[in-house]
Amino acid sequence: MRLIGSAVAKYMIWVAAIALALTFLFLHSGLDFDYIIPKRFSRLIAMIIGGVCIAWSAIIFQTLTGNRILTPAIMGYEAVYLLFQSLLILLMGTKSLTVLGENSNFVLSIILMLSYSWSVHRWLFFDGRNNVYFLLLTGLVLTVVISTFTQFIQFRVSPGEFSVLLGYSQASFATVGAVQLLISAAAVIMVCLLGYRSFPELDVISLGREHAISLGIDYQHTVRLHFALIAILVAVSTSLLGPTAFMGVFVANMAYALARNYRHRAVLPTGCAIAVVIFILAQLAVEHIFNYRTTVGILVNLVCGVWFLILMVRTRGTV
Amino acid sequence: MISVNKLFKTYGKKTVVSDVGAHFPAHKLTSLIGPNGAGKTSLLMMIARLLEPTHGDIFLNGNSIFNIRPADYAKKVATLRQAPGFNLRLTVSELVAFGRFPYSRGVLTTEDYRVIDEAIEFLSLGTLRDAYLDEISGGQRQMAFLAMTIAQQTDCLLLDEPLNNLDIKHAVQIMSALRRLCDEQGRTVILVVHDLNFAANYSDHIVAMKEGRVHYSGSVENVVKKNCLQDLYELNFRIARSEQGYLCNYFKPSGELK
Repeated sequence: MRLIGSAVAKYMIWVAAIALALTFLFLHSGLDFDYIIPKRFSRLIAMIIGGVCIAWSAIIFQTLTGNRILTPAIMGYEAVYLLFQSLLILLMGTKSLTVLGENSNFVLSIILMLSYSWSVHRWLFFDGRNNVYFLLLTGLVLTVVISTFTQFIQFRVSPGEFSVLLGYSQASFATVGAVQLLISAAAVIMVCLLGYRSFPELDVISLGREHAISLGIDYQHTVRLHFALIAILVAVSTSLLGPTAFMGVFVANMAYALARNYRHRAVLPTGCAIAVVIFILAQLAVEHIFNYRTTVGILVNLVCGVWFLILMVRTRGTV
Repeated sequence: MISVNKLFKTYGKKTVVSDVGAHFPAHKLTSLIGPNGAGKTSLLMMIARLLEPTHGDIFLNGNSIFNIRPADYAKKVATLRQAPGFNLRLTVSELVAFGRFPYSRGVLTTEDYRVIDEAIEFLSLGTLRDAYLDEISGGQRQMAFLAMTIAQQTDCLLLDEPLNNLDIKHAVQIMSALRRLCDEQGRTVILVVHDLNFAANYSDHIVAMKEGRVHYSGSVENVVKKNCLQDLYELNFRIARSEQGYLCNYFKPSGELK
């Protein structure tokens, strides 16, 4: 019975994802293939890319840290992004939107987040301490420090500029250009290809550092590689959509509950599907129910929270 | 055979393992004994490559272990630490299957399944194979972890306090299983153990450490002696030897210690 249930649950999420994607493309579109549907299609692609980034980075981050309540947000990537956007507004005002253009802002944000993570990893991993908790603690402290700078700047800008900043601090699919989608897709596909081969290693790493080494994993090498891949995914998704904060916690835990399997081979695809479903649900609601008077970011947390609570009750906490 | 030469481990100014040289004979069961903080676990973890020595060499059959790739080392030496908690919800057989990772890298063959069944059978865990690890007792969980280590099919097994928190029945089961691994399968077993009576009755060889150094090492007869143990633990000992083995009595220290 449980087996049948889990098989149904596993396929349900894919059926739901496809059905929602089609609904999103065609609902009230008037079958306008010249403008509405291509626009929606590019947003759908953005949601798929974002979903893969968030699910993948959160699930593997939790494996590496051996902790189910963390997301890579704790490392301060998103804080760096927001500080950068605030600095742009402070220095150039709302003109920065036109001076820099969406594409260069996107690329610059990615480069900035990657160099931030590169220096943090380099500093901490080559320190010889090689302690994941120390890495997390440093990430958390940096997040707080950087966010304080951002707040400081936010008090200095005008209300109009502040509302532009607020737009950056919420996840949204409103503005995604073709160039950004291409770059993101290329990065995500590269990460998936690199990471896919080490799923069995990741399964072993979830037993903990000592078991992993004892079973012949080159622990340092594998952990560093995956932290680097996570940094790329977070940089891409944050530049593309904006910060998603703790959506990854929901996605990862729901993936474990639905997949009912500890293997990354099973959990990761389920997680990606869940994240895409959540994004489409939220975006549908924004477009058709709330008429753009709320944001995807707010709805995502609402949908995730409710769904997660239902899952907890139904599985009686064995998630 | 594993041998250790001039091994040091220091944290800042604190030296936990100091100039240790020792031999661990092949196909024998060796117990590492000594008071807390003697450096037993540090020594074992350095042999397991879980801890980097500050200085010194460790040899496996004459080759320095630091020249062996981690993936190959896992086919020669398996390590079991005190059963840690993790977030996975695994059944006993799923855990044991992890022992095959060095060979199959995650894709199990029929040979792997045979070895997994053998390991489960060896420890009589058949009735528990589909039980979840978080739903069985601590002793059974320790047996399941040992089964994973056995399924790794290494010549050498390193165990860090495998009897910790176990009742006497499970402790006897684990020790006799280790004894059989040596006698029936010719494996080399090295373990850190605190219960002197288990060490005296089940080992072939004993390495006794104190304050980071090897104090005594040799066969059981040579180390399980009143003066050696008194010196090691600074307690009064009475050692009774009978046909059934050794009985070290230190529970009520009577008389003065020099």
